[in-house]
Amino acid sequence: MIILNKIISFYYREYKLNLSGFQDILTNIIFFFVSIFIFIFSIGPDKETISNIGISIVWTLLLLSSTLSLRKFYQDDFENGNLLIMHLNGLSFGFIAILKTFSHFIFVQVPFLLSIPIACILLNIADDKLIYLFSSFAIGSFILSCLGSISSSMNLMNQRNFLLGSVIVMIFSVPIIIFSVGIANLEEDFNSLISILFGILLIVFAINPWASGLCLKLSLENN
Amino acid sequence: MIIVKDLSIERSNKKIFENVNLSLGSGKIILLKGKNGSGKTTLLKALLNLIEPSSGAIYWKGKLLKKNLNNFFNNVTYIADRTSSLSKLSVKENIKIWKKIFLSNISNSQVENILKTLKLDIYLDQKVNSLSFGETKKLEFLRLIIENKKVWILDEPLSNLDNESIDVIAQTFEDHRSKEGSIIFSSHQESEINVSEEVLL
Amino acid sequence: MKFLVNPSKFNKVADYVFLPVLILSIILFSIGLIFSFYLSPDDYQQGSTVRIMYVHVPSAWLALLTYAIMTLYSIAGLAFRIPFGFIINTAVAPIGAVFTLICIISGSLWGKPMWGTWWVWDARLTSVAILFIIYLIIIFINLSFENRIVREKVVAIFILVGSVNLPIVKFSVDWWNTLHQPATISKLSKPSIDPSMMTPLIIMTFAFIMMGIAIAILRIKTEIISRKSYLS
Repeated sequence: MIILNKIISFYYREYKLNLSGFQDILTNIIFFFVSIFIFIFSIGPDKETISNIGISIVWTLLLLSSTLSLRKFYQDDFENGNLLIMHLNGLSFGFIAILKTFSHFIFVQVPFLLSIPIACILLNIADDKLIYLFSSFAIGSFILSCLGSISSSMNLMNQRNFLLGSVIVMIFSVPIIIFSVGIANLEEDFNSLISILFGILLIVFAINPWASGLCLKLSLENN
Repeated sequence: MIIVKDLSIERSNKKIFENVNLSLGSGKIILLKGKNGSGKTTLLKALLNLIEPSSGAIYWKGKLLKKNLNNFFNNVTYIADRTSSLSKLSVKENIKIWKKIFLSNISNSQVENILKTLKLDIYLDQKVNSLSFGETKKLEFLRLIIENKKVWILDEPLSNLDNESIDVIAQTFEDHRSKEGSIIFSSHQESEINVSEEVLL
Repeated sequence: MKFLVNPSKFNKVADYVFLPVLILSIILFSIGLIFSFYLSPDDYQQGSTVRIMYVHVPSAWLALLTYAIMTLYSIAGLAFRIPFGFIINTAVAPIGAVFTLICIISGSLWGKPMWGTWWVWDARLTSVAILFIIYLIIIFINLSFENRIVREKVVAIFILVGSVNLPIVKFSVDWWNTLHQPATISKLSKPSIDPSMMTPLIIMTFAFIMMGIAIAILRIKTEIISRKSYLS
C-alpha cells in the first residue's frame, strides 16, 4: 500500500505544480487557436476548402502545440533535483517515466481534448466526424506523451539544442498523423485503423519506460 | 552502517580520487573536506549508487550497497547543493507536498516550532521564489526532519548560511547524533560543528 | 572476429585491410562504371536514364545496411557494454547520411525525365526522406551534447528507438500512399531484371560497399585516436 500512497502523493505534487503553472497550459491552447487563425488567413475563407482540410489542420497544430510543452516534461524536476529525490524515495526511473507520461497526458493533452470541439466549429468540420477526431486524438495524444517523454529525457543534458527534442517527436509521430487523419477521413475503416493506432500505442508505451528510464539515469549520473 | 572500502572513481578516464576508506556508524558525524573539484559531491553521489566506482566497494549493513538498495533508500535523506522546493508554490504548500511524498506523520506544531527556530514562520504563505537563497536553503533542511531517516547525506549544507542558522543546524546534528543517527556532509569552510571524523579528499 | 568489438585489434586489422579495400573499390568502380555506361543496354521504356539505377540502388541498399549495422552496434554498446559500439555509431552515421542523400538526389535526377518532376510523394521517396532526417538527427545529437558518455548512449538509445519506429513509419507511409494515390509509379520495382543489367548492378553494389568500408575505416580510426587524446 506504500507504493499506492507514493503514487497518490506524486500526482498530488504534479497537480499542485500544474495548477501553479496553469497559464502555461492556457498559453499552449491559445497558441493552438492562434495557429488555426493564421492557417485560415493563409488559406482564405473558402468554406469548402477549410472543411476539406480541417481535420488535417487540427491534427498538425495539435502535434505542434503539444511539442511546445516538452521542456517542462523533465527539465524543471531535473534541474532542481526533484527527480533524484523521487528516485531516492523508492520509485525506479522507469516507473517515474510512466507516472510522468500519465501526468503529461492528464495535465497537458486533456485540455487540448476539451478544446477540439471549438476548433471543429471554427473549421466547419462536420459534427459526425467529431467522434472520430476525438477518439483518434485520445489515443494519438497518449502516443505523443510517450514520445515526448522519450525525447525530453534524451535532451536533459543537451545544453545547446533544445529544438532537437521537438524534431525527434515530430519525426516519430508520422504514423500517428497518418492514421489519425485517416480515421477521421474514412469512417468505414474505423475499427481497423483504431486497432492499428492502439497497436502503435502499445509498442511505444512498452519502449517508453526503458528508453526514458535509461536516459534519466544517464543524465543524473553524469550531471 | 555505511562502509566504504578502497573506493576510487574515474570519470572520462580522469582520476577524481583514489582509495578512500570510510566507516559511518550510528551516532557518527563525518565531515568531508577538500578543495573545489576534489570530488566531494562525486563521493556523495557514489554513496547514493548514482556513480559507478571504478574500483572498491560500498557496503550497507554488511551487504553490498547495490544488492541492498531498497533498504538503503528507505533509510537515507539526501540534500543536494541545489534547492528542491518548488519555487512557484508557497512555503506551506511545499511542506504539505513533502509530508505527502515522504509519508511523514510529523505534527503541524512540530513543523511550526522548527520554522520558528529557523526564522521562516513569517514566510509561511509566501511563494518560495520570493525568499532569499539562504532562506530557501534553510527551508530545505526541514526535509531532514520531515523525512525522519537514519542517515543524512548532505552536500555543502553550510554554504550561504549566517552564523545563527549554522548554530541551529549544529544543534540539529547533535540531536540526530544522540538519536543514533549518522550524518555525512561536505564542506569547504571551517565550522563549529562537532564532528567525529574528518576525511580529507 | 575479435576485431569487430575491440579497438586495438580493429586498428591492426584495419591497417592490413585498408589499402587492398581502397584499391579493390577503385578497380570495381572503374569496371562497374564502364559496364554501366557502355556495356549495358538501354531500357526499352526508360532509355539511357536507367543507368542512374546503378548508383541509386546500391546507395539505397547501403543506407539501410548502415542503419542495420548501427542498430547492432547500439545493442552491443548498451546491452553488452562494448564501448567500441559507440565509436562505430559516431563514425558511421555521416556515411549513412551521405548514402541516403546520394540515393535521394540520384532518385530525383531519375524522376525528372521519367515522371516530369523532381519529387513525388511516393511511399519509397517519403520513407527514404524520413530515414535521411533520422540520420541528420543522429548527427545533431552527436554535435550538441557536451558530455561524451551521455552523448554516445543517447545516440544509441535513439538509434534503437528509431529501429523500432522505422518499420512502423515505413508501413504507415506505404498505407498512406496507397490511400491517396494508386500505385502507378513504382517502375523501379520490376520483378524481373535483365541479366545484362544485373551484372553492373552487382559490381556497383560491391564497389559501393568497398568504398563505404574504406571511408568507415578512416573515420573509425580517427574516432579512436580522438578518444585516446581526449583520455590523456
